[in-house]
Amino acid sequence: MSKADVKAGKKARKKLAYEKKKVLYGYGFIGLWMIGTLIFFIVPLVKSFWYSVNDVSIGEGEMITEWVGLKNYDYVLTVDENYADYLKNTLLETLWKTPLIIIFSLFIAVILNQKFKGRTFARAIFFLPVIIATGPVYKIINGDMGATGNTGAGQFSTMFSTDLVGELMQFLGIYGLSDNMSTLIQTVADNIFGIVWSAGIQILLFLAALQNIPPSAKEAAQMEGATAWEYFWKITFPYVSPFILANLIFTVIDSFTSPTNQVMGRIQTMKEGWFFGYASAMAWIYFGIVLVAIAVITLIVNKFIYYEVD
Amino acid sequence: MSDTNTTAVAEEKVIGNGMSKKQAKKIRMQTMTKQEIGYLRRKAAVEKVWPIFRFIIIFGLSFVILYPLIYMVSCTFRERSDMSDPTVMWVPRNYTLQVLKETIKAMDFWNTLKNTLVLNIGCSLVQVISCAITGYGFARFKFKGKGLLFGIVIMMILVPTQVISLPLYTQFRYFGIKGLFSINLIDSMATMYLPALTANGIRSGLMILIFRQFFKGLPKELEDAAYIDGCGPFKTFVRVMIPNAASAFLTVFLFSVVWYWNDYYVSSTFFTNNQTVALMLQNLDSQLKIALFNDATVEISPREQIVWKEAGCLLSILPILVLYTCLQKHFTEGIERSGLVG
Repeated sequence: MSKADVKAGKKARKKLAYEKKKVLYGYGFIGLWMIGTLIFFIVPLVKSFWYSVNDVSIGEGEMITEWVGLKNYDYVLTVDENYADYLKNTLLETLWKTPLIIIFSLFIAVILNQKFKGRTFARAIFFLPVIIATGPVYKIINGDMGATGNTGAGQFSTMFSTDLVGELMQFLGIYGLSDNMSTLIQTVADNIFGIVWSAGIQILLFLAALQNIPPSAKEAAQMEGATAWEYFWKITFPYVSPFILANLIFTVIDSFTSPTNQVMGRIQTMKEGWFFGYASAMAWIYFGIVLVAIAVITLIVNKFIYYEVD
Repeated sequence: MSDTNTTAVAEEKVIGNGMSKKQAKKIRMQTMTKQEIGYLRRKAAVEKVWPIFRFIIIFGLSFVILYPLIYMVSCTFRERSDMSDPTVMWVPRNYTLQVLKETIKAMDFWNTLKNTLVLNIGCSLVQVISCAITGYGFARFKFKGKGLLFGIVIMMILVPTQVISLPLYTQFRYFGIKGLFSINLIDSMATMYLPALTANGIRSGLMILIFRQFFKGLPKELEDAAYIDGCGPFKTFVRVMIPNAASAFLTVFLFSVVWYWNDYYVSSTFFTNNQTVALMLQNLDSQLKIALFNDATVEISPREQIVWKEAGCLLSILPILVLYTCLQKHFTEGIERSGLVG
């Protein structure tokens, strides 16, 4: 063996050791998270599923479980008087609200991306819901006091959302619209409130995507004489399309934590009554349906997404 | 070919010869096709009308967003009786600080605020750091099972807290090793700090993802240089990567503060008394009755109750609103810089 060979061998071993070391460092960096996830995510997740197929009662220091199979699921869907309705309502609402939120936030993002006076101010206002909408404050301004156990709240509960346009009209000095007209406007306004208030992060993401459109694409479109409409569909839309999927998923997940989510409210009630088995079954049905829906949407939408090749 | 060239040159001379803009335009129009003229006309029309539309849209929607906030302020400084007065809409008839004082008392505001800040700022800080470390591990190292582990991160984003909150409760109630020891952590801040410390707190999946994307976007040469100079991976992370990630840190930290501030679901699972501002607001009804009338069964007309509720809202969003106003730029431009895009 020549000296050079020995040197090369040493180098190879050293490199291998370095690579191995790097693997270890990799585990080192995510180690803390791995421990935490095991304790605070994986185990509870498995346990929660276990509870959903068991009769759960509280023993000393631990839960006493008794295997019942799908009985909890059956009970929740057929016997529980509220759950099936709540589930249907919530899923339907997510179904029609999500596309509206996406369209609305894209529209607003396009507007906020244009240059005009007071743009910074307008942006500050439109992102305001981001810091408020996830908390109990939203519940109060949305007029839903049900979860706080306030009976008799119904009479004024819709006051804030439904009469909004009426307020705006009065604010601007317009009175006496015909009743039909104002009812129509009110229904629209009722939903506009919910949509505007849950579109903050989505607008933010779309805006970031819009600002990443290369100026060359814009110039090319201007040279070719594209109208604003054509520009939107041929340039803007393809560039932001990956974010439509991201926003779609974010919107659906965000609806889980929405303070106005009936299903989650019901689960909370069941949990407070210590019906752990039923509560877990409820949570898993809801989560299962949404997970399947997200998977299907991702598969479909992925086909229409334009990914720029670097 | 040569014909068109010469006319073009001739036109240029004419335009250069001190003609009015209108005349020059007329000549330019002559060389255009009908479609081109139509395009220009439409463009000019849109450019005139669009700003008006835009203003109306922005103004209307801003009203939708600001209305509840204006109403909050208006309610906070009026007397209870003004609620039943139909002539009072925006401007109160009787200004008073009474409601505000009562709400502060009912919410035990200063203590609650202190409590919330300790919990909120601490957890956010700890969680941002732990998520950054995890995100860096996923972005820059190759190891076995990385795909699977990252799948778990995605699951963390997808699984709603409600699904795992039940077992989590029992876990904290009897925290420890089975058969050896167990402590009751319910009502202690450890229930929030422990998950935050191990990158498992509120929305930590999302934060890990953001950091992973961000660190992936930084040039590899940064670390190579440090490695060659004999820096270990951890030292490289602290000395080289963190200073480069300052803006990402700030953005994620701000969002974390907001999410912890607004959270009442997780905290209501682990706290039996109202320790945070969000929880206090959530249960303001009963708090009010106890604090103001010493009786939990008193019925207050819901319409009049609004004043305290709105005052409570105002109090609880005020700190976060101040933060937002001061750091608005980092909220709105941070996502762009954090590298989540692209």
